[in-house]
Amino acid sequence: MSIQRRQFMTAAAGAAGIGLAGCLSDDDRGGTPDINGETLTLTTTTSTYATGLLDELNAPFEDRYGVSVDAVPEGTGAALEHARNGDADVVMVHARTLEDEFLEAGYGVNRRDLMFNDFVIVGESDDPAGIASEDDATAAFEEIADTESTFVSRGDNSGTHTKEREIWDEAGLSDDGFGEWYLDGGGGMGETLNTANMEGAYTLADRGTFLDMREEIDLEIHVEGPVEGGPELLRNPYGIVAVNPAVHENVNYDLAMAYIGYVTSLEGQEIIEEYRSNDEQLFFPEALSEDSNFQQYVPEGWESDSDG
Amino acid sequence: MTLEAIDVRHAYGDETVFDGVSLSVDPGEVVAIIGPSGVGKSTLLRLLALFDAPDGGEITYDDTPIWQLSEKRRLEYRRRVGMVFQEASLFDASVRRNAEYGLRVRQSWTDRLRHEVADLVGKSNGTGQALEALETVGLREQATQDAASLSGGEAQRVAFARALAYDPEVLLLDEPTSDLDPRNTAMIEDAVMEARDRDIGIVIATHDMHQAERIADRVGVLLGNEIIELGATERVFDDPNDERTRKFIDGELIY
Amino acid sequence: MLTPLVVDFPFEWNYIRSIIYVSLYVSLTAVALSTLFSLPIALFVGFKDFRGKTLVTSIINTGMGFPSVVVGLVVLFAVSNQGPLGSFDLVFTTEAMIMSQFVLAAPVITGVSLAAVSSVEQNVRDAAYAMGGTKLDVAFVTIKEARYGIATAVLAGFGRAISEVGSVLIVGGNIASSDGTSVTRTITTAIQLEARQGRFETAMLLGAVLVVLVLLVNAIVVRLGSDDGGYR
Repeated sequence: MSIQRRQFMTAAAGAAGIGLAGCLSDDDRGGTPDINGETLTLTTTTSTYATGLLDELNAPFEDRYGVSVDAVPEGTGAALEHARNGDADVVMVHARTLEDEFLEAGYGVNRRDLMFNDFVIVGESDDPAGIASEDDATAAFEEIADTESTFVSRGDNSGTHTKEREIWDEAGLSDDGFGEWYLDGGGGMGETLNTANMEGAYTLADRGTFLDMREEIDLEIHVEGPVEGGPELLRNPYGIVAVNPAVHENVNYDLAMAYIGYVTSLEGQEIIEEYRSNDEQLFFPEALSEDSNFQQYVPEGWESDSDG
Repeated sequence: MTLEAIDVRHAYGDETVFDGVSLSVDPGEVVAIIGPSGVGKSTLLRLLALFDAPDGGEITYDDTPIWQLSEKRRLEYRRRVGMVFQEASLFDASVRRNAEYGLRVRQSWTDRLRHEVADLVGKSNGTGQALEALETVGLREQATQDAASLSGGEAQRVAFARALAYDPEVLLLDEPTSDLDPRNTAMIEDAVMEARDRDIGIVIATHDMHQAERIADRVGVLLGNEIIELGATERVFDDPNDERTRKFIDGELIY
Repeated sequence: MLTPLVVDFPFEWNYIRSIIYVSLYVSLTAVALSTLFSLPIALFVGFKDFRGKTLVTSIINTGMGFPSVVVGLVVLFAVSNQGPLGSFDLVFTTEAMIMSQFVLAAPVITGVSLAAVSSVEQNVRDAAYAMGGTKLDVAFVTIKEARYGIATAVLAGFGRAISEVGSVLIVGGNIASSDGTSVTRTITTAIQLEARQGRFETAMLLGAVLVVLVLLVNAIVVRLGSDDGGYR
């Protein structure tokens, strides 16, 4: 998809545009004058941006409200840090533990589940650690550690890196448990996959980027994520959080909430559902459900004192 | 109009170059300062050119003590003086632009900008005065040449034209021919004579006594921190008051 | 917003054009400001004796090697909502990128210009003064005499500014709008984005665009220099 990405996006935008035309014109009553012409700063992860989803998602929003969305693609850690400093209005990331810290510290309000995809554990086709038989991510990581097979980590505090550390934690390995077989890539997903390919190593990758690159590398999926029936642990959920205007009064809270409303609406979710890259669905909408889902608003496992 | 150094003293750090030196130049006269190398002739000329303030004494122009003036007023006096150095010290530009330099700096910024633009688009055909000055040193034909392409003698003649172009009242010449061949030396000396005829006052520092004898009306001998003798050229050369002057002229005094 | 497809090129022309525009706008502005800032300093340090001159010179020389990410972090700290310039709302703007490239380019331009103006002979400066020039005139003569060296300095500054990725990524945020028009994305940050995705071919292509651009600017400056701006 690499080369044709943009043409494809444009084509997809055309298709989506037709699909959306009906809903858009309904709402085209001149927009809200208060936010017209303003700019929303969205810090987000590279994966949402680089797959082309964000352009697809943002264009109708910008049109309808007469605003522009500045999407800053960076790692989840950096995206949240910018929000902490009040330099972003809204954050779209995929690391629940980091999002929860952000919420608990009071920097974020009105978190919503947005969408998900999944991670896969990939490695050389001959699978030296023999993890292909595992349908459990933790067990697969344990095998890699036991056989001291080379593993390349993102090492950049991104959502993928956070997930990786979470699995290592479950496998009972911490910093001092890693040996020379554990390499810190310190780069983007694409670079990490390339490093893993050259080293004949294993790595944890998000499915989208891996699918994107599989033509150019000799790695294959050994442990699938939940999208293909794999363990829930490899689920990669994306959340969206507005920056708390009580902490940073300069943030554009109105617009942030309008954006959250839009991306979690039927219309926004439909764009996510229908978005295809090289005929593959990359993201699965998760915002709408008939059942109650209070946990999306609060840190995981949080319970109100008054409940007790 | 008289440029005058009155009882001046100058020192570099603790080392006194000269002390109690007095010298003046009137319109249409050539005053030569002779003396061996390193005796402070250049320093004296720099004082007269108002480069630096003397450490003692006074520099006056038309009886106005220059160093008591504001920098802006001093500039007016400075601009009545021209100077030629031992080295041509030309700008890396055409002969014409070199000769025009003094005229340019005297113009308003808008005029200067206009000239710069005209030069950039090649529309400027030069200033009459600058071309006249080049004519005086026989280099009018070379006006469009690059200054760097000139021979040493030609370059020094351009330097002379550069100082002459803006019509100064006083010309200070610091060993202007010491690096030149006889032909170019003669051309410079002719130009000096021509300048004198235009009523320009000239002070020339030289270690070449024959040159002083050829062109100077008066001669001052700078030796051992002071001017030991100052008078009409013929008198100084034929009948020096000071024994050291006679020895220096006869070449017996070796430094 | 839905522009026609360009089939043979991996990016839309609008995308390429806008990142080239942002790159040039940011770097040329930063270099112009740096030059205006650096030349007086170079002249001052080159020709005035003052206490702490050695210190200033070594600060300039150290500045020539400032890591761009460090500069980016410092500028980010300054312009961030929490920082001293927070109220100006400069995070993720081209203005912030210009600020960081200014900090990167200024020491290079100052350092190389300092070497260039220092090599101008004192007697040429004296001649300008003796012909009735003011101190400002002498400064202009010095700049004209050192023009090739200063052009080199400006090119070196431009090279550093347009090719750096660390600071513009940090303070600019690498933003392109949803229709593919660059807001704060430069050629270098676009390359970085492609490389992070492992799309090395497209990154390489953008790299070629950058090299061509730098060569072009160099050629223009050298051409202007050899024309000699009418000083003949």
